[in-house]
Amino acid sequence: METKFSVSDFIAYCNQTLEYAYTGCTIEGEVSEMKTSQGKWVFFSLKDEGGSIDCFIPIWQLRVPIEDGMKVLVRGTPKLTNWGKFSFTIQAIQPVGQGNIKKSYELLKKKLTAEGLFAPEKKRPLPRDLTKIGVISSTQAAGYADFIKIVNERWGGLEISVCHTQVQGLVVPDQIIRALNYLNEHSEVEVIAIIRGGGSADDLACFNDEKLVRAIAASKIPVITGIGHEVDESLSDLAADVVASTPSNAAQMLTKDKKAEIKNLHDNISRIYTQISSRIDLLSNDAKLKTLSISSRILSVIESYEGKIKSTVSILKSLNPENILKNGYAILRGEIEVGNEIEITTHDKNIAATINGIKERK
Amino acid sequence: MKKKINEKIEELNERVEWFYGEDFKLEEASEKYQAATKLAKEIEADLKDLKNEIKVIEEDFSKE
Repeated sequence: METKFSVSDFIAYCNQTLEYAYTGCTIEGEVSEMKTSQGKWVFFSLKDEGGSIDCFIPIWQLRVPIEDGMKVLVRGTPKLTNWGKFSFTIQAIQPVGQGNIKKSYELLKKKLTAEGLFAPEKKRPLPRDLTKIGVISSTQAAGYADFIKIVNERWGGLEISVCHTQVQGLVVPDQIIRALNYLNEHSEVEVIAIIRGGGSADDLACFNDEKLVRAIAASKIPVITGIGHEVDESLSDLAADVVASTPSNAAQMLTKDKKAEIKNLHDNISRIYTQISSRIDLLSNDAKLKTLSISSRILSVIESYEGKIKSTVSILKSLNPENILKNGYAILRGEIEVGNEIEITTHDKNIAATINGIKERK
Repeated sequence: MKKKINEKIEELNERVEWFYGEDFKLEEASEKYQAATKLAKEIEADLKDLKNEIKVIEEDFSKE
């Protein structure tokens, strides 16, 4: 028997079929005739060379700036309206191609910079001596493997809580936001690392999602990003507290190097040894100086006595009768009267003599 | 309670500082040097042995 529908039922039946057949459908096309209605709804056509479909998105779900002429990737559900018009209801949208991504990036960057979301004074330093790290990444991705490898090589004893999310595609921003909220509310991690290896501009475009960028900036726990390669810069990077150039670099920034630490231990012990030697030298020098000072004082006293003795000896020498005789004097012994015999002693002779006469000196 | 590695490193740094400080006494230096060397060896062994604990959270973040 032929099925008979009311118009409303037929529309509902069609929508049910469309939803079943095209859940999470992704379409790539160019935006045209974009307009906003009542500040709440955004309408535009998505077209390519062969056709065009009408699209609709609530303005709060439009998380990247788009413009007419921009090539985009949209995810959503096809729908037949109550007026029988076909429309595509968008859940997520992302620009495609380097030029469009760059343009959208610059527009959102300007807006969020004006709000102060990227202000340097908002940046928090990474906590020192981390013990608990939260990681948001795909556990199957090469970037995650690099990150964990470097962390394990460099340091130990860390508790790493990993939130597994996708890291490519339109679903990424919401998954990362949920992971950020989870770690902020249900964990004791001291820092959150968002990790994603290198990729094309299209692959990394999901990290320019406005809601994700705001969630990173609002995280109570400091966030470090290690997304892509050195040259890649996403708005998520600008919102993070610390930016690492790659996943490996993020691992290096979060951990100390155990090899360097062991070298440091050896250096410290060598330093102690040197310091003890230096202290002993210092004490030894001090003792030497004191000994020298005492010796010097003793010598000085001895020299002083030597001087005095020399002087006394000199006086004694000058008083020696033999020295007087050498100067031409003589000693005369006997009674001084005419005719008496007397004895005269000079420095080298004893002379016997008789006194012939005596005269008084004036 | 077992000390964490960072606490041990901090303790070693303090022990090293003693040799540079006013409280230094030659009579105590040998004993303190041996204690510091023992602690350094303990830290080195810890650094070589310690593994990281990686836990993947079971929550499904793909679900809204």
